[in-house]
Amino acid sequence: MTFLYKFESFVSKYRKILLLLMAALICLLPMGVNNQYFLTVIVKMAVYAMFGLGLNILTGYTGLVSLGHAGFVAIGAYASSLCAVKLGWGFFPSMLFGMVAAGLVGILLGLPTLRLTGTYLSIVTLGFGEIIKMVAMNWIPVTNGTLGVKNIPKPTLFGMKLTIANYGLYYLVVVALVICTIFCLVLVKSKTGRAFQAIKGDELASVMMGINTTYYKILAFVLSACICAAAGALYASLIGYVDPNTFNFDVSTLILSIVILGGMGTIRGMFLGAAILIALPEVSRFLMVYRFVLYGVILVVMMRFRPQGILGWKSQLPYQLSKLVMKRLKTAGTEEGGENG
Amino acid sequence: MITQQIFNGLALGMGYALIAVGYSLIFGILRLVNFSHGSVYAFGAQMAMIFIGLRFGIIPGLIASMLLTGVLGVTIDKLALEPLRKKKSIPIASLITTIGISNIVTNLLIVFFGSEKRAFPALFDFGTLQFGSIVISATQIGMCAVSLVLMLVLVGIVFYTKIGLAMRAAQQNPVAANLMGINVNFVVSFTFFLSGISAAIAGSLVGSYYQIVYPNMGFMAGLKAFAAAVLGGIGSLPGAIIGGLIVGVSESMAATVLGSTYRDSMAFIILLIVLIVRPNGLFGKKGITKV
Amino acid sequence: MKKGVVRYSLAMMILAGTLAGCSQGNGQGTGDMQNTSGTQGGTSAQSGEGTIKIAVAAPMTGDNSEYGIGFSNAAKLMADQWNAQGGVLGKQIKIVPYDDKNTSEEATTIAQKIVSDGDISGVIGHFSSGVCMTAAPIYEENKIIEISPSASHPDYSKIGSYIYRNNTIISKEGAAALDIAVNDLGKHNIGIISIMTDWGTNTSGIIKDQIAALNDPNVKVVAHEEVMEGSDDYTPAITKLNQAGADVVICAGMYNLVAPVAKQYKNINPDIAIVGFSNAYSQQLIQLGGEAVEGVCFPVVFFSESDNPDVKEYVDTFTQTYGSAPSALTSQAYDSVGVLLTALKEAGTTDSEAVSEKLNTISYEGVTGNIKFDEQGDVDKQFNKVTIEDGKFVKMN
Repeated sequence: MTFLYKFESFVSKYRKILLLLMAALICLLPMGVNNQYFLTVIVKMAVYAMFGLGLNILTGYTGLVSLGHAGFVAIGAYASSLCAVKLGWGFFPSMLFGMVAAGLVGILLGLPTLRLTGTYLSIVTLGFGEIIKMVAMNWIPVTNGTLGVKNIPKPTLFGMKLTIANYGLYYLVVVALVICTIFCLVLVKSKTGRAFQAIKGDELASVMMGINTTYYKILAFVLSACICAAAGALYASLIGYVDPNTFNFDVSTLILSIVILGGMGTIRGMFLGAAILIALPEVSRFLMVYRFVLYGVILVVMMRFRPQGILGWKSQLPYQLSKLVMKRLKTAGTEEGGENG
Repeated sequence: MITQQIFNGLALGMGYALIAVGYSLIFGILRLVNFSHGSVYAFGAQMAMIFIGLRFGIIPGLIASMLLTGVLGVTIDKLALEPLRKKKSIPIASLITTIGISNIVTNLLIVFFGSEKRAFPALFDFGTLQFGSIVISATQIGMCAVSLVLMLVLVGIVFYTKIGLAMRAAQQNPVAANLMGINVNFVVSFTFFLSGISAAIAGSLVGSYYQIVYPNMGFMAGLKAFAAAVLGGIGSLPGAIIGGLIVGVSESMAATVLGSTYRDSMAFIILLIVLIVRPNGLFGKKGITKV
Repeated sequence: MKKGVVRYSLAMMILAGTLAGCSQGNGQGTGDMQNTSGTQGGTSAQSGEGTIKIAVAAPMTGDNSEYGIGFSNAAKLMADQWNAQGGVLGKQIKIVPYDDKNTSEEATTIAQKIVSDGDISGVIGHFSSGVCMTAAPIYEENKIIEISPSASHPDYSKIGSYIYRNNTIISKEGAAALDIAVNDLGKHNIGIISIMTDWGTNTSGIIKDQIAALNDPNVKVVAHEEVMEGSDDYTPAITKLNQAGADVVICAGMYNLVAPVAKQYKNINPDIAIVGFSNAYSQQLIQLGGEAVEGVCFPVVFFSESDNPDVKEYVDTFTQTYGSAPSALTSQAYDSVGVLLTALKEAGTTDSEAVSEKLNTISYEGVTGNIKFDEQGDVDKQFNKVTIEDGKFVKMN
């Protein structure tokens, strides 16, 4: 365990420098690597990391395993692309609309499933994912059915079109990912985040402690849905075409695998999970035929040997009080100690 | 036409009932939803097709595929699920493991046998009966008969044999059962073996009804059968049959009234309603503990 | 301590693999990672300099993998035949397969990879129209030639001058199918059953339009049922069609629709006539359908029992090498590679503009008929009318 301890203390000591280095690397990456394919893969990784962050709020923190998150992604992708294509809205208003729509559906899904636990909840979310796919396929006047939505425009900022070629889309996705990460970090440390983790730990006890589990569970659904929908909007403009079959059970399993592989309840884990699972098909083209088998094997092996995920040690540490609280405790302690002699 | 559609639905439902029985078996003993049951069912159907194709005769071929599928069930338990039980890991772990296994089995089938749909021999090729405007085929009657027999056999095993007693004891309290001298691990493996056999029987029957097998046949059918099992009360074997029939008929009705593209979601809507209104299902026991 | 070492090395390996994978995609990756996956057969190609690379992008895994693998096999067969005679432009031909899992997401990634590679002279793919149309703009923008053996959406080839299609256009094929139903079989109450995909929806729409355009009061659509692709149970839809009094059913789907529909329909109405489309033409249809598909008719451009000696030789070689007879789509892929190689040879260079010019004017005799691309990049083919008798495909008279 000493290696991990050294690693963690190194990171926390040199946190600011490491952050600056990473920021520089990320900003300069497209200039150094002049390859559209490579950039597309990185952008894909970032979008999937966002999916993972969204699902992490629901599964990693609140402990509700969702097997149908592709449904929320679909809502975000469809809503934003339909607004852009049919109503001619810009990218950002469309994305907001997608997030709102997904949030509403999240409430709809959260309400009836409050009583359910564990496996039942997961199966219901799976059914939800399939129902969303069916709606997308059959609501032809709105979603074009199986023909899908074509020629989704790339986002434009101040009149400039952001594509992979001019690195615009890359920076947009990076900014979105950073905002999302900061949001998640703040969420974890906040009262809401503690409520989520309490629900995961023991729901009965949290109810006894006065936590309004109904409100927080639905909130978890809504937040998770919004983040996934935003990422879905980015995904739609990256690919340029959405159809109902893009958002099937395989995608939900992939997002779940990212969360599990990286580590449920950790934020860094999402990046690692997304990086590994998106890079894997690119690396292992010779394993092409066995690719899906490999995903299944990863799930089984991870659950067997390391259910907390690769970077999961952080989530198993006891809750870290913030610096302010620590300072107050220390001063209170020295005062008392001084008083007691 | 409506009566014909109802009969279509009943036949469809019998298929789901056969698969649902396997879910109920495992859940009744382990309180675990075996997501991989659908893929084991597809495996059973493929094996049956291969063995019958080897021309050993239909009955030996079926028996061979049943045994092989039972062995697959035991392997899944021993390799993936037993270590999790030993470690007393979180319940989500088993669910995710079974999803992973379902993925592995289905895709290995695709790799080794190709994703094409293949013909399955008709096992009950005795023609059709006609009642007025309703046509019932011998295969449908055969499916009905076999599922009833299967259910009776399973109920007999669970309630009237020693090993059934051991299974029920292990479900109520594994530690106490161990102390009483029951080898809980063996009992669990036996349950998986039974579940594998019933999956193979289901696969052969459904395969012979539609005369098609393909590796991915387990996905949708497995999910709908799970809805059927929950509707009937998961853990209850007669409930699985009733649940299957209801799901089948409602799916047929949905296809008639709304159109065939809505039929898949019918099962999920039923599942949702059941879980919200009456989570125990029709025949389930009260008090579902936290899974 | 040991556990830590194991975990650390595992992490390092994964990290190294990830970075290596990304850098491989930089375009400096040589033939190693993009090896021809050894599914079946082999090519006589050597990697490294001096090869002409042709990419085959199609689903190699998942539900539709049979079609992708079929394309890849057909392409390899054609490449082997050319390589045996010295290759093209003095270099050996190498087929590089890519798996797009029939999703737009993978297709865009693969398209980006192919254009970044810089070495690919042409792409045969993708499989379904929606996926083709997502990838095509990337190819067009980077001037890579794409020939799809299976795209059917009318707008596909309009995407650009480097985008070609070696597949029948639905409007022509629909007219041919309708012709069989109405004129050859003499039926008037037409029922349509179509799968819920972009192809199915388009095709059924076009058939309905054409029936309306016939302006014949006797000929009408009595029912149109849409079904999910990949279901096994079509009894509700079939009962509805039967109730509506259909005497011929036009099946807009592939063999996995036509075979079960034939079986299940003939259980309740043994006299029903069934008309399909050329993408259902494959040995699997007969294997799966057995007796029930006797008498099913379709318009095809590829007829494996043809008297044409070239076709016979192709069918025999394919069956010998890969163990199963080629289907219509596979043969269209075979011809696509052939026409591309011929254009390369005649242009004398791999420069896409020159090759594309040649493709626009070339006239190629293939196993699926004469290929001549029009201004949009589509081909116009003659249809044969084929039916199934005694478990074999025979020409209708």
